[in-house]
Amino acid sequence: MSLPSDWNSLLPRRAMLQKLGGGMGLLGAAHVLSREAAAAPTNGQFPSPHFPPRAKRVIHLFMNGGPFQGDLFDPKPALEKYAGQRPEGANLRTERPTGGLLASTAQFSPRGESGVPVSEYLPKLGACIDDICVLRSLHADNPNHGPALLQMNNGTILPTRPSMGAWFQYGLGTENENLPGYIVLCPGRPVRFSVLWNSAFLPSAHQGTYVNHSDLTPGKLIPYLQNESQDRATQRQQLDLMQRINALHLQAHGPDQALEARIASLETAFRMQSEAHEAFDLERESKATREAYGSGHYANGCLLARRLVERGVRFVQLYYGNGQPWDTHSKHNETVQKLCRDIDQPTAALLTDLKQRGLLEDTLVIWGGEFGRTPTSENGDGRDHNHHGFTMWLAGGGIRGGMTYGETDDFGFRAAYNKVHVHDLHATILNQLGLDHERLTFHYAGRDYRLTDVHGRVVREILA
Amino acid sequence: MQRISPRIVSCHPRWCLAALLLCTGTLQAEEQKIEAALAQPTEFSAADLEHFEKRIRPLLHKHCYECHSGDAKVLQGGLRLDGRDLLLTGGDSGPALVPGKPDQSLLIEAIRYQGTSFDMPPGGKLSDHEIRLLEDWVARGAPFPGGSSLDVAPQKSINYDEGRKFWSFQPLARQEPPPRKQDQWSRAKIDPFILAKLEEHGLTPSPAAARATLIRRLSFNLIGLPPTPEEIAQFVNDTSPNAYEQLVDRLLASPHYGERWGRMWLDLARYSDTTESWLGATTHAHLYRDWVIRAFNEDLPYDQFVRRQLATDMLEETGLEDLPALGFLGLSPTYFKELLLPPDIIKVIVADEWEERVDAVGRTFLGLTLACARCHDHKFDPISTEDYYALAGVFASTRMTQRPMIPDEQYAPVATAKATVAELKEQLQKLGKAKPKPADEIAALEQKIKEIETSTPDYHTPMAHVVEDESLYVELAGSDPQSGTKLVHRPEPQNLNLFIRGNPNRLGPVIPRRFLTVLSPGEPEAFQQGSGRLELAQAILNDAGPLTARVIVNRVWQGHFGRGLVDTPSNFGRLGSLPTHPELLEDLTARFVENGWSLKWLHREIVLSATYQQASSHDGQKFAIDPDNHWLWRMNRRRLDVEPWRDAMLAVSGQLDLSQGGPGLPLDELSNHRRTIYGTIHRREISKTLAMHDFPDPGLHSPQRINTTTPLQGLFLLNSPFVMEQARVLAARLQQEQPASLPDRVQRAHQLVFGRDATPAEVQLAREYIPDKPNSPQTPDSISANTAEPESSTEPVSPPEVDAAWVRYAHALLASNEFLFID
Repeated sequence: MSLPSDWNSLLPRRAMLQKLGGGMGLLGAAHVLSREAAAAPTNGQFPSPHFPPRAKRVIHLFMNGGPFQGDLFDPKPALEKYAGQRPEGANLRTERPTGGLLASTAQFSPRGESGVPVSEYLPKLGACIDDICVLRSLHADNPNHGPALLQMNNGTILPTRPSMGAWFQYGLGTENENLPGYIVLCPGRPVRFSVLWNSAFLPSAHQGTYVNHSDLTPGKLIPYLQNESQDRATQRQQLDLMQRINALHLQAHGPDQALEARIASLETAFRMQSEAHEAFDLERESKATREAYGSGHYANGCLLARRLVERGVRFVQLYYGNGQPWDTHSKHNETVQKLCRDIDQPTAALLTDLKQRGLLEDTLVIWGGEFGRTPTSENGDGRDHNHHGFTMWLAGGGIRGGMTYGETDDFGFRAAYNKVHVHDLHATILNQLGLDHERLTFHYAGRDYRLTDVHGRVVREILA
Repeated sequence: MQRISPRIVSCHPRWCLAALLLCTGTLQAEEQKIEAALAQPTEFSAADLEHFEKRIRPLLHKHCYECHSGDAKVLQGGLRLDGRDLLLTGGDSGPALVPGKPDQSLLIEAIRYQGTSFDMPPGGKLSDHEIRLLEDWVARGAPFPGGSSLDVAPQKSINYDEGRKFWSFQPLARQEPPPRKQDQWSRAKIDPFILAKLEEHGLTPSPAAARATLIRRLSFNLIGLPPTPEEIAQFVNDTSPNAYEQLVDRLLASPHYGERWGRMWLDLARYSDTTESWLGATTHAHLYRDWVIRAFNEDLPYDQFVRRQLATDMLEETGLEDLPALGFLGLSPTYFKELLLPPDIIKVIVADEWEERVDAVGRTFLGLTLACARCHDHKFDPISTEDYYALAGVFASTRMTQRPMIPDEQYAPVATAKATVAELKEQLQKLGKAKPKPADEIAALEQKIKEIETSTPDYHTPMAHVVEDESLYVELAGSDPQSGTKLVHRPEPQNLNLFIRGNPNRLGPVIPRRFLTVLSPGEPEAFQQGSGRLELAQAILNDAGPLTARVIVNRVWQGHFGRGLVDTPSNFGRLGSLPTHPELLEDLTARFVENGWSLKWLHREIVLSATYQQASSHDGQKFAIDPDNHWLWRMNRRRLDVEPWRDAMLAVSGQLDLSQGGPGLPLDELSNHRRTIYGTIHRREISKTLAMHDFPDPGLHSPQRINTTTPLQGLFLLNSPFVMEQARVLAARLQQEQPASLPDRVQRAHQLVFGRDATPAEVQLAREYIPDKPNSPQTPDSISANTAEPESSTEPVSPPEVDAAWVRYAHALLASNEFLFID
């Protein structure tokens, strides 16, 4: 379309807005205002850490379904020795009845300088063990997927609380205005879906942005990111028109912070279109990098996670796969090898890549499921859910590498020593982000709520 | 011995949160059980005491005192182990030890780690040696030096007489208008109260809003839709003295009034159409939504509105058509219960559901946060745990179910037919698995099912989601502790035991079902009729009537001004805000009750006031005094919620489908042109459109919308198929209505979208943006290129060719602030 040649000089948008702002640089002010409006419109808090953070960003690699620790990071030779038997500790309340002990087919060997044992199923990740702190004594409250997923994400087994990512956003605000601060990647849909990244009673701007990355076309990843009937220049002209209309309105009706904030957020949205395209476009990575990560949805997710945290996204959660692929109620030993092949290289590549780029220092990487699995067998070749004791690991973000913390019993039924509850994990994550889990509160329904409810202990023993 | 960090409880003790965050000194006090603690001091030998100091105290100190001593940051289970009297007194579960009898001592039971939830300490079992030391110590009579270490005051019980003096619990009385210096401004009884406060703060009211502004404001406020240009012109040119009143009456009589105000109620009622597939189906949820809309439209008196939602099935004066009212309870959120798990886990989930009901009823009707009292007396309001369990018992005696809206005798054949069909379907399923498939047999069965379904009258009669009186018990499924859980329903109502610290596996005394003590005139009487739902409703409306009325009046005020006189609309307790205009709230509420709890009366009273009719314009001087407009020196400029915003876009494009009621339609589908209130609400998977525009979580009672401004909303505005489609249709409409001149078309656009004429500057803006001759027509093809997402199941109406620049121009108008904000 043709426009008057002097269109842009008629009344440049920025100049006009600044003029309206009485010389104070209104667009800039509105920019700040929009951030405040988005981050903390209630409870009067300005987002900022309580103390200097060790981690600025978090990547959570979520093995949905629940992996068995005895295959990966917590060797249990007793399983083989007593295979088929049913020791006293087997009377756990889990979801389904189980039989005798089922040996793991994995061999372990000490890895790295630290010599922390890692399963042969994870050869490449084993090479990164000196950056990893293995928490062997996690425990949670419920052996069903739904409640356990909720607890891991939202702190309680009820679907009524904000997710941890929403708490991060609420507590810290955003680092990059042009991207959502909390992005959930899954090639498909994890069980329970959006409640896992909801904001519940926190302002809805804090909810996670769900991205199904099974199709990598950047325009399809974020809702409404693309406008296919206008090119960028045409849309810029249209946005200029919008902002002129808004400016005339503001002139007649302002000053008004809410109006100004919305003017600014439209500009942000416009920029987000290109920035998000760029952030989600794996084609921009070198061949070497793509090869380092390998192929497949999980590998792509890891690489996306790095691209996103690199651009200031506060929290990236990557679900391993659609549904709950780690939920091996049958054919456990066969399935786990395939799953491990899938995660080994990309996870190792992510840690290495973050480290090379200097990002691992202040990026906390979390790995684990919503619970673990039973040492006893279900129907002979499967394993049931086990929330009494399971393994997760942390890396980067001020966590000591090359160590294990906590123990399960001889078979891996229960966390036995230096137990770490999910609440403790949350308290520790918040601590690394510079947030005191007891002070990060939101007043709602007559009470002050926390991610850790009335619990939680920062596991200081694992801090670097 | 207490479960210090019981596995079951630790997953959900939200009710303890206040204890941690808000209460510091009183917690220990509450826990003490004084009488036992004053047991006679006992003499021990020096050797015994030395042994204690050398062996036992270090053990207790190392493993227990972090949670169970006077030094504990948060005392767990009400139990202290740092004094003999304290050990003998024990905590929530009773005495921690019986001197001389280790096997009868809870402390010993806990440290023996017998696989129960009592296992202590939570970090792992003590060594066998340590356990033996403690057993031996108890066997020797538990020698402990020193006298009583009780250093805290006995528990203070709630003083209800004091509690009853709180402002929101007072009887209602009309108020005299306060004195003003001068008053030519007031039009309604509301106004003098506002004016007096303004004068007090050195403020004056703003001038009245222009008529075009007023009709737009009123229309959005009362029916949630913009006025048409014709309606605006008519009102602006109406010179009759009661033109405004007539407008108010017309809008209040509109069937769309209930759609606007019913939505407010649905936010409170945590309404949703569907929920997760593994929870109970809510196929006919919309019957409740439609009942609410109808109740508003018919101006059902608020007291009856409340009563029917809690107990219409127990009322003689209401009929089957009111059954859906019970959806307030009958559509409550439910939580997943895995019955393979043992009862102590399932009991917790069930207790959480009861808590949800107490919370929803308490906050919606009474503006009280009753759920705070689940595990300890309310920290701020005079509400005891006994009060909480007295109400929870009502919901424990109530079952969510479905009922037809036709008489039982008429439904009886349907029930029989449905049972037969269920059997046939079961057979069908079996046949489907058989190999080879018996095709003929299957066809015959299918035919039979179809016949029954079509030949039985009322076979598809809608089933309302209701509650009925039936108690729920959570029991062990078999005799084996590992046999899982069964849920048993029994017809008789039940009284709950108090759950110690909110834990249903630790029972205190039985609490009869009854109303809250502080809101009852004397000792509250036990409910007698079934679950007690009707008596609860009566108590909410009679004993607590003044509070109940204040709460709803304040909600309606909030709906008109954007903020309530009390700005914590669901908390009228001590942690809630005080009213900015207490006398006004008293007077308005008293008159509301006198006027038969009529909400339409209340709306009229509010919108006819001079206060309501003020302009929203900025005034630097007044702004400096009262930037938040607490004293209402002007009307608040308000941002439209997502429902009226979406509805308005459809209205100005001319596509809005105003049909009412019926099942919801997916909101993210372009072909859905119905009002947003009829969009499907999924409890956990909220539509994209709603989720990004501050729609509240439909699993939670939501007393007010929280507005956020985010770039994702900006993307919706710039790129969503919905906005682009409305822009295209609007542009086509403009072209059709004003084909010739650009200024005329721009005028029409402004009249439709903003309800006013365009200024010369705005016409000039359009002239600069839109080229003289149409080019690059935007065809349906180019639209569908953009909307080829799963959500665009629309069949494009073949539109006239519209100039792309006009489409973009219309888009800009729809995206503007002026379209979203109402003056």
